[in-house]
Amino acid sequence: MDVSAMIPELLSALPLTLAITFTAMVVGFCLALVATTLRVRRIPVISHLTDLYVSYARSVPVVLQLFVAFYGLPLLVILFGAKDFISATIAAMVGLSLYHGGYLSEVMRPAYLAVDRGQHDAADSLGYTFRQKITRVVGPQAVHFALPGYGNSIIYLIHNVALVMYIGAADVMATAHLIMERDYNQYQFETYLVLAVIYSLMCLVAWLVVRFFELRSPMQAPETTTTAQIKNAAVASV
Amino acid sequence: MFDTDILLQDSREILGAVPVTLAMAFTIFVLSTIVGSLFALVEHRRIPVLRELIMAYKVVFKGVPMVIVIFLAYFGLPPALQFLLSLLGINFNAHETPNWVILVIAVTGCVAAFQAEIIKGALNAFDTGQSDAAHSLGYTSGQLFRRILFPQVALTAIPDLTTSMMVIMKALSLGFAIEVVDIFAQSQLTAALNYYYLEAFVIAVVIYMVIAYIVTQIADRLEQALRVRT
Repeated sequence: MDVSAMIPELLSALPLTLAITFTAMVVGFCLALVATTLRVRRIPVISHLTDLYVSYARSVPVVLQLFVAFYGLPLLVILFGAKDFISATIAAMVGLSLYHGGYLSEVMRPAYLAVDRGQHDAADSLGYTFRQKITRVVGPQAVHFALPGYGNSIIYLIHNVALVMYIGAADVMATAHLIMERDYNQYQFETYLVLAVIYSLMCLVAWLVVRFFELRSPMQAPETTTTAQIKNAAVASV
Repeated sequence: MFDTDILLQDSREILGAVPVTLAMAFTIFVLSTIVGSLFALVEHRRIPVLRELIMAYKVVFKGVPMVIVIFLAYFGLPPALQFLLSLLGINFNAHETPNWVILVIAVTGCVAAFQAEIIKGALNAFDTGQSDAAHSLGYTSGQLFRRILFPQVALTAIPDLTTSMMVIMKALSLGFAIEVVDIFAQSQLTAALNYYYLEAFVIAVVIYMVIAYIVTQIADRLEQALRVRT
């Protein structure tokens, strides 16, 4: 089995995988910011709807979320009178963004709450608006709390990008399946080993990047007792 | 378009897969907790070589997506088992291992790495002064474990163990790739028969969310009931 011949072919599909990952990262981050703000501010009905969204993103398997996006989006698009332009790739991006946003919101909210209560009160008593409070006082401290959890969520996002194959996006996994079928399914185990290495390397790179920021951030780390340290759940998310 | 008439009929079929899924999830939960506890114990006691091996194990299983682990188990486990058994001189066709056993083993392998972390965290939260006190009172280590260590560690671990139970539920949905029928796979099968895809998936979403709600409620009640009032 010539593994070296297989790797370039697998890597040719990497740009799509990375594109989906980055879209989900960026859109998911924005979604998480919005969702966290809405949940933290406790606006009657909207907060509950956001809670529902977060529990959807967290308690439903990602494969199922992808399928819901794949079959649900065209319906929405047609409802708004547009032509159906949803491809598997777009559905994958939307589905994973929704997943990542919900997951990340549950990293950000504990980080926001972990910031010392006195800091919140001080900012409020000085007449800061919510936005000023976030950007000047609470935000910079919460970043420190959120970074480890953020690193985890990025790693799980990369893991879950491996699932977009099931709705028909032509990512690395799908290419691997093509290669396997061309070889009459002789080398499945070897191909999956190569895939495992590729995904591990991607996770390693992501981890190193987050790690770099984690090591940098103690400069502005808030002085807190150990009890205020939030637990970042080490459990995977599928 | 979205058809509401089909919902009732579909949901009856999909609900049929719930007991099987829960049973598999519970099996994996118990197995992975046992394996994870052993891992955590090794790390807690700092047993030389085993400790490094477990570190490596955890790194590998955290870096590789669960789908790929499941596929690797699917293609790699039966031949490996066959080989091992033939070394022992037992003639057994390991290629007939049912797929759900392979899924259970693969998911257990993945989740055990995380369970080890959870239990290690709970063990670290345990106050060592208490074990010193117990030893000074002449407790044996069995008594120490049963009367002092276990009740506290189990309580500390409950919230995280609930999360990992949910993760196991969700991980089973990857079993459809190797033809194990759980809630998600059943919704896919139902949809494939009558072409109402979105309806079937929405039902599955609702079922998953309800199960998650019930599991967290039970865990909360349990934690409140067990917590020592001080």
